Amino acid sequence: MPSHVQTPGLVSRRLYRGVRGAVVVVLTGILVAGLLGDIPQLDILEQSARNLYFHVPMWFALMAATIVSAYHSAQYLRHGDRLRDLRAREAARLGLIFGGLGIVTGMVWARFTWYEGTGVWWNFDPKQSMAAVLLLIYGGYFVLRDAIDAPRTRGRIAAVYNLFAVVTMPFLLYILPRQMPSLHPGGEGSPAFSQTDLAPAMRWVFYPSVLAFLGLCWLLYTQRVRLAWLREVLRRKALGQPPDGRGLDRRAS
Amino acid sequence: MTIHPLRPSDPPALRPGQERPDTTTAYDSTWAEQPDASAPEGLDRLMGQDGKIYVVLAVVLLIWIGVVALLYRTDRQIDELERRVDRSISEDE
Repeated sequence: MPSHVQTPGLVSRRLYRGVRGAVVVVLTGILVAGLLGDIPQLDILEQSARNLYFHVPMWFALMAATIVSAYHSAQYLRHGDRLRDLRAREAARLGLIFGGLGIVTGMVWARFTWYEGTGVWWNFDPKQSMAAVLLLIYGGYFVLRDAIDAPRTRGRIAAVYNLFAVVTMPFLLYILPRQMPSLHPGGEGSPAFSQTDLAPAMRWVFYPSVLAFLGLCWLLYTQRVRLAWLREVLRRKALGQPPDGRGLDRRAS
Repeated sequence: MTIHPLRPSDPPALRPGQERPDTTTAYDSTWAEQPDASAPEGLDRLMGQDGKIYVVLAVVLLIWIGVVALLYRTDRQIDELERRVDRSISEDE
């Protein structure tokens, strides 16, 4: 038997190493340029404008993770491939982690800028509150999973829930908060395509930072998927089930 | 806690006959009062620039190096684990 029969194709090693190297190099550069680079001098924000490089990419990572998670949930429903279920779960987990970091970093940022001296940590900014709701929805995904013991039932029900969860994401993060007065940009039109919202000097740090944090999220996600798959292989071995074939959950009928 | 005066001209202890200072400011060791004669050199000059932001940068980079080391170590351990599981399953067949 050739080796690597049980763990093939989870990720291309060359791609993984390439992304890992790029993430390390770019994020190191982001840390240096993010702390030392030029930024516009703004009232209230002052040096904290540099938080843009670190707070906002958390939300890009969450958004990507929820989409990846929903994609694999849909694939699980189509093919019943257990690996898809694990991928959906780990992507949702990474989404929760990055979303949690986004919430906490946003709280600290607002507390010492717009809410300086007020002692207000949670200011009920629409985007903040709705992001919290989104995190609760994804928390519900894990509660639901833990409540079901049978793997196939769990996979199917969780996948359906996950598809509903991802539909709320653009509404909670983008559409609804932009209808209300908020600290966050976007009320005047999409900041993504605005040529004036972001100073040119900051673009060269901000855009690579988004890409680098997306890459970091993917690296951690890949690690978790590989571990989850190892656990799955060992579980099947212990049960005496055929070790190969990801199609264990394929519709039996 | 004792605040040691930074100025070398300051006496290390109360001389006889000197009154014990009773104001907090007597314990001040303001850096601004240091003689400017010796400009900081080498590493001190580099790290002291721009409000000592380089000190923050050094701290953040050290943390980042730790995180990257963890990332690489975990990758190696997963590689090893995958090899071991593959081997044990191939032996069973």
